[in-house]
Amino acid sequence: MSAPQFDLPTSLEEAARLLAEDPEAKCLAGGATLVALMNAGLVEPTALVSLRKVEGLAGITRAGDGSVRIGAMTRHRVTAGSVELKAGQTVVKQAASVIANPPVRNMGTMGGSIAFADPGADYPPALVAAGAEIELASVNGSRRVKAGDFFTDWYQTALAPGELVAAIHLPAGHPGSIGYYDKLARVEGDYATASVAVVLTMAGRNCAGIAVAVGACGPKPVRLAEAERKLVGGTLDDAALAAAGALLAEAADPVDDVRASADYRRLVIPRLVRRAVRSAMAQVR
Amino acid sequence: MSDIAITLKVNGHDRTLQVPADETLLDTLRARLDLTGAKRGCNQGVCGACTVLVEGQPVRGCLSLSANCDGNAVTTIEGLAKGQALAPIQKAFAEAGAVQCGFCSSGMMLAATALLAENPKATVDDIRAGLAGNLCRCSGYRKIVDAVLSVVAGDGQ
Repeated sequence: MSAPQFDLPTSLEEAARLLAEDPEAKCLAGGATLVALMNAGLVEPTALVSLRKVEGLAGITRAGDGSVRIGAMTRHRVTAGSVELKAGQTVVKQAASVIANPPVRNMGTMGGSIAFADPGADYPPALVAAGAEIELASVNGSRRVKAGDFFTDWYQTALAPGELVAAIHLPAGHPGSIGYYDKLARVEGDYATASVAVVLTMAGRNCAGIAVAVGACGPKPVRLAEAERKLVGGTLDDAALAAAGALLAEAADPVDDVRASADYRRLVIPRLVRRAVRSAMAQVR
Repeated sequence: MSDIAITLKVNGHDRTLQVPADETLLDTLRARLDLTGAKRGCNQGVCGACTVLVEGQPVRGCLSLSANCDGNAVTTIEGLAKGQALAPIQKAFAEAGAVQCGFCSSGMMLAATALLAENPKATVDDIRAGLAGNLCRCSGYRKIVDAVLSVVAGDGQ
């Protein structure tokens, strides 16, 4: 195999044009995933479109209305340390802080991670719980897709040929909401065996609103309106949490893999949901 | 596709090279520059034996493409000592016996160097978290942490 072409575009338009010209071209973001796949001989791109010089792709900006834009090239380290993510948005910050280990967090980017869409990765459930929208760019312009629709199957996304992730947008959410990300892993830094992302808003002792997304237990994050209806309006007691957890476990579609059996994952989902929601509640002031 | 012309500032010296687009920084350092301190362990970014500093931050040499590092400053284990004088972290590893087979040592010391540059008062927990991406298959972690702690304490300086 001959070495790929190497492109270093400086604008999103130029990057999109390069991707449109060659269907086998791959975007090179931080390299943490793509280069590992190349080293393993699993991917042999004809061209690498490096995004490192593309203007406006890195960094986190907060708008006046409290919504946040995270550029696709923003490294996990930056997201993990950002003060721009507030209230419920911090679920994404927490997810970033438990990805792999410091050197990988120095390299890996949010755009690269979600474009690969490993179901065991930390961003998918966090972005779904935070109500994120993914901004995709191509030669035809840009469009936004809800995180819940972006992840479509095992390692599959809504990205069409020639499209790339440009940014991730987080809505402002309720200013009093709490974000909490709970990850069960064999060892720190591993992919999740199961994970739960929660964005919770309380009104006194009652739950005024909640989003719960389960990760690593199927082809894509599991979020269920029916489960959340069991929780909203109540005090989040054991019975309600068990009912919501049971629905999520039933909706999940886990497989046996090196990290755990499918049965184990189904068993652990309700417990992890309870623990995550309780941990979020403990942070409500 | 023809090779890409790049310049890396390796251990303070500009090195201009021609590399294929898919050549990793680890391969460039080891095969072209004879800097064999960075080791190839898993080649998947998991083990940390290839850890080097790019612009002062620890990264995986095996997951970094050299073509994508054009213009960057790279520090390898060979760049830590000043002439014959070992860097404090190197002295500390030697004195604490924080080396068994040595395969992980380069990456460990570079990750520790970056950690201490950012957090000179690192605690045991900070050190464990900071070195979490570097595996020692001899499992000699205790003395590695002791060595980094001794630099924090200023022993031997």
